[in-house]
Amino acid sequence: MTSAATEFDPITLEIIQSSLQAISDEMFAAMRRTAMSAIIYEVLDMGTGITDGRGNLAASGAGIPAFVGVLDKAVKRIIELNARDQMAPGDVFITNDPYHGGVTHLNDAVLAMPVFVGDEIVAWTANIAHWSDVGGLVAGSMSSDAREIFQEGLRLPAVKLIAGGTPNQPVMEIMKVNSRLPDLLQGDMWAGIAAVRVGERRLIELVDRYGCETFVAAMAHFMDYGEQVARQALRSLPKGRFELEEEQDTGVVYRVAVEITDDTFVVDLTNNPDQDTGPNNACRDGSMIAAQMVFKNITDPYGATNDGTFRPLVLRTREGSVFDALPPAAFAIYYEVEIRLYDLIWRCLAPHLEGRLPAGSFSSICATIVFGPHPDTGRHFTIIEPQIGGWGGSASGDGNSATFSAFHGETYNCPVEVAETRYGLFVDRLALNDAPGGEGEHRGGKGIILEYRVRSDHTHLTCAYSRFKHPAWAIAGGLEGSPNYIEVVRRDGTHEIHAVVTGLPLEEGDVIRVVTGNGGGYGEPSNRSPEAIADDLENGYLTPERAREIYGSG
Amino acid sequence: MTQHHATLRAATDVGGTFTDLVTFETDPVTGRQTIRSAKSDTTPPDFERGVVAVLAKAAVRPDEIAFLAHGTTIVINALTERKGVRVGLITTEGFRDSLEIARGNRPDFFNLFYEKPAPFVPRRLRREVPGRTAHTGAERTPLDLAGLPEILADFRAEGVEAVAICLLHSYANAAHERAVLERVRELWPEVSVVASHQITREWREYERTSTTVLSAYVQPIAERYLSRLANGMRDGGFDGSLYVMQSNCGVDTLERTRQIPITMVESGPASGFWGAAELGRLLGEPNVLALDIGGTTAKCSLIEDGHVKIMTDYWIERDHRSAGYPIMVPVVDLVEIGQGGGSIAWVDDFGKLRVGPQSAGAMPGPASYGKGGAHATTTDANLALGRINPDFFCGGEVEADMDAVARTLDAVAERTGMSRAEAARGIVRIANHNMISALKLVSVNRGHDPREFTLVAFGGGGPMHAAALAGELGIRKVIVPRGAGVFSAWGMLMSDLRRDYFLTRLIPLRRERADAIAATFAEVEEHAREQFEEEGVTAERVRFVRFAKLRYENQEHAVEIHVSGGVIDADAVDDIAIAFHEAYERQYTYRLDAPVELVGVHVVAHAEVGKLELEQLPTTGRTVGETVKGARFVDYALAGVHEATIVDGSLLEPGMELDGPAIVESVDTTIVVPPDDRVSIDEYGNVHIEVGGSTA
Repeated sequence: MTSAATEFDPITLEIIQSSLQAISDEMFAAMRRTAMSAIIYEVLDMGTGITDGRGNLAASGAGIPAFVGVLDKAVKRIIELNARDQMAPGDVFITNDPYHGGVTHLNDAVLAMPVFVGDEIVAWTANIAHWSDVGGLVAGSMSSDAREIFQEGLRLPAVKLIAGGTPNQPVMEIMKVNSRLPDLLQGDMWAGIAAVRVGERRLIELVDRYGCETFVAAMAHFMDYGEQVARQALRSLPKGRFELEEEQDTGVVYRVAVEITDDTFVVDLTNNPDQDTGPNNACRDGSMIAAQMVFKNITDPYGATNDGTFRPLVLRTREGSVFDALPPAAFAIYYEVEIRLYDLIWRCLAPHLEGRLPAGSFSSICATIVFGPHPDTGRHFTIIEPQIGGWGGSASGDGNSATFSAFHGETYNCPVEVAETRYGLFVDRLALNDAPGGEGEHRGGKGIILEYRVRSDHTHLTCAYSRFKHPAWAIAGGLEGSPNYIEVVRRDGTHEIHAVVTGLPLEEGDVIRVVTGNGGGYGEPSNRSPEAIADDLENGYLTPERAREIYGSG
Repeated sequence: MTQHHATLRAATDVGGTFTDLVTFETDPVTGRQTIRSAKSDTTPPDFERGVVAVLAKAAVRPDEIAFLAHGTTIVINALTERKGVRVGLITTEGFRDSLEIARGNRPDFFNLFYEKPAPFVPRRLRREVPGRTAHTGAERTPLDLAGLPEILADFRAEGVEAVAICLLHSYANAAHERAVLERVRELWPEVSVVASHQITREWREYERTSTTVLSAYVQPIAERYLSRLANGMRDGGFDGSLYVMQSNCGVDTLERTRQIPITMVESGPASGFWGAAELGRLLGEPNVLALDIGGTTAKCSLIEDGHVKIMTDYWIERDHRSAGYPIMVPVVDLVEIGQGGGSIAWVDDFGKLRVGPQSAGAMPGPASYGKGGAHATTTDANLALGRINPDFFCGGEVEADMDAVARTLDAVAERTGMSRAEAARGIVRIANHNMISALKLVSVNRGHDPREFTLVAFGGGGPMHAAALAGELGIRKVIVPRGAGVFSAWGMLMSDLRRDYFLTRLIPLRRERADAIAATFAEVEEHAREQFEEEGVTAERVRFVRFAKLRYENQEHAVEIHVSGGVIDADAVDDIAIAFHEAYERQYTYRLDAPVELVGVHVVAHAEVGKLELEQLPTTGRTVGETVKGARFVDYALAGVHEATIVDGSLLEPGMELDGPAIVESVDTTIVVPPDDRVSIDEYGNVHIEVGGSTA
């Protein structure tokens, strides 16, 4: 038992801790329901959380795991960059700049609100959400051509958006005028403000009910508990130093070394290429999140996540490298860098962790941006969406088909009926991808084929998929999965394949065929049960030819 | 034999273990109401035998019954136990995998071994037909049914017993779906078949397909069940009206239910919540938080201004570990959590005390049942704290095993470093906290202040925890209905014939579009009237309540706004807009100067089928003192240990008042009254608790 638990009633502490979780979830629900951008309310590219007065993570809401570790880092930087005597009850701060606590890229806006009890800041409520457009080179702001952050849109360097409850109107006007979609930006901003305010109100009620001292102790004890859970799990892991290098679709080679001891989990990224001259960079905080996610996956995937959870984790990076980029590096495609890093650590550890990790998955956000005129309304529409794909097989069974990447969680794809109404496109097909690949004792899950038929000229496509040249990796003798890419079928019947493209012009009648990969296989195909092979054949997941080739049956 | 007149009103409820009966009879001379109840075993697969048996047990002849409301768990059980039939799905070309793709979400997001729920129809039984309807409802490609005979032949060969049809955009125009439905009926008249537009007219193809598939999956089973029930009752001489309880808090006819049985999926909780709404109306309490605590779960729902909230956002088997399966039918808005009397207390690896969601169930049950329950439960903690009387446990039917209670609590105490009493208090406080979280989800999370509501608590465990929960939430009044244990049956007898119609249609909320909005309501109401007329319910008996689903343009989630009846003109559109902005701001703390859009309509069609009139309870002149059984020490957790007055609930009469600390003991429930609270009995015998202090 820690000191906090012996001085305070443990049941009261437990009730406060569980309330923190409930408040994070309430903030999440409020934000989701009021957001204007589909990427927030449907894709749920958003997160909510509570930190203690110093910015240490106390609780986080639902949404996507890749945002769980963002908010504490953002709040700490806000505290660092703003004088304490300039903070007052009712303030709301905003940052989106990785060089000012934004962690990810300029599209993601973090809002944070100090929670005052008397003169003391006892906690912060915060959220992050992907805004559809913050200016920059291209619609949607994420350009694969950007070479420095100045080309990626408006930077908000941890400044006050609301002062003592009064909106800072000039800042809001500057934000709106810099966006191609000012109405969405305004709606999304207010959704975020509503959420931090709801959280602040609830936390104050909690302090009123149980007293400030008990409240602060409950947060401290909760983090200590998170640490205990993590350390116990760490002790049960195999120990050693594991290394891996992997070539990327771009030709560069990423390297990682992971050293696991009884007390620490060290992720060493120092031996990596210099930062990218384009937007394929992560800041150090962003790289830390990839490491935190793997650590959480293999230690305690079910329990609470807070500052204590990550105390045994140590990250080593080299300033100026792709995983610790310095100004004025661009970050638009940070998410593919981060998910590649995450997958790299996963792949590095998988052979050594006795079944604790599945084979590789399609493992790309597969960010797909389509914009153009809506033929029904004449207005412009913008699709910004990640894609679902196949997960790898594991010791316990076949991988899931058509599921978002590990960076997403409670994320929903857009229903075809909603998409056809909202966007100026038809959807001709949404099916599982029957391409070969990913066979094994436990096969990888299936990716998808999603066909958008363009309805008007002057439509444009931007995408940034990885795992195109190097598909999902297999384990223990399974076969690797199949690639992620977009095939554009022109009206005249010609085909082109793209994995990364910015602003590709399309005309009416062209088809955008999104193809996501099958996950990697687990175990030798010869060990697959005849029943499972028969089931795959009956349901068309496997052709008789491929069955003969791989399984020697069918 | 004298000619008698059937006057009895009865409700039967078929559960997994027991079939319950409650009857209400009003003496035409004295006006005095008698309530009878009985319980007998549920008798699968011949469920009607259990119904006939329970009537016999209560000495009720079927020919005495004028009105019979029937509730059953047959649908939810068939779904969760996977006891439905083999289904074949017919869908739009290019989209057979929608059902398997689902929405791609992974709620258990740090778990890399997450398992996506398996589709109810395997891929080889999901077949496609060419033909496309656009989002506007216009036909893009004509329907081609040339392949249908082969599809149905394959289905037969595979042993398919029910066919589900769901085509893209059928909510906007059901013509293609109707054509497939008719052709299937021609080609294969014996097969059970259902098309999505018969169930719902809302968009989102995965949800609609899942709904149609699950409906087909249970349809033959429910059909057999309802036919046998009707026949069994008729053979016994029943000649009254038989209605089936639905998930939308209404009852519906047997004929209608047979066609779309999936609407029964949450009928159990719905009847209790409707009872709470009706009780609130009767007592002049329009704003009610309803709480039903049973053995394994606690369920709650919010009633505002006398209205239950009906939504179509219902999922089975969905929790933080699984994406579950959507069923897009009208279901009362409820939150259910794994917290009941049988919830098990446990200690994690780090000494933290937890309660639930695992339950000791009926077997072995809580430790105190003496049937080998090895873990302390919430019920055991309530016994240890003196809240439940060990000598009147389960109405005196079970002898509480207090040794087992002490033993299992000591195990918890040892692992947490607490005393036995501290452990018991801890269990009750954590259980209360979990229930408070659920009550907050239906109130504060939806923009309502619980302090403006009255808590109506029922089910075996509701009255035991209600006053403490109210204290914590700042609620000033708790009502425990008379006969809290049979409250759901009472709710069933108070229900109207009710159908909820939802239609997706996007129309900008502008004055010049008033006609289009009016036409949408008229279309739905006309359809409802026709449906009722077909079943012999004349148009003048049908009343409508209108709701508009609105949002700021570009948003996704809509807010439902009540729309007054009558003509919808440009001014009415302005009124709707004002009401939307107000409701939106109340719920989300801000409003926008942005265009508003209608996403669809929700129309409730009611027809009264002759409700139970509740009579006042007569008094005998008995004094409060005569209801007192004695006194004992009761541990009220943070409010301390007090000597509480023990009252026999069956002797309480209207007008009586008493002060806490007290315990009111009845056969089917125990009411815990904390020290600062006051109790009064209303004219119908319901127990009101005026909440004084906070007592978590």
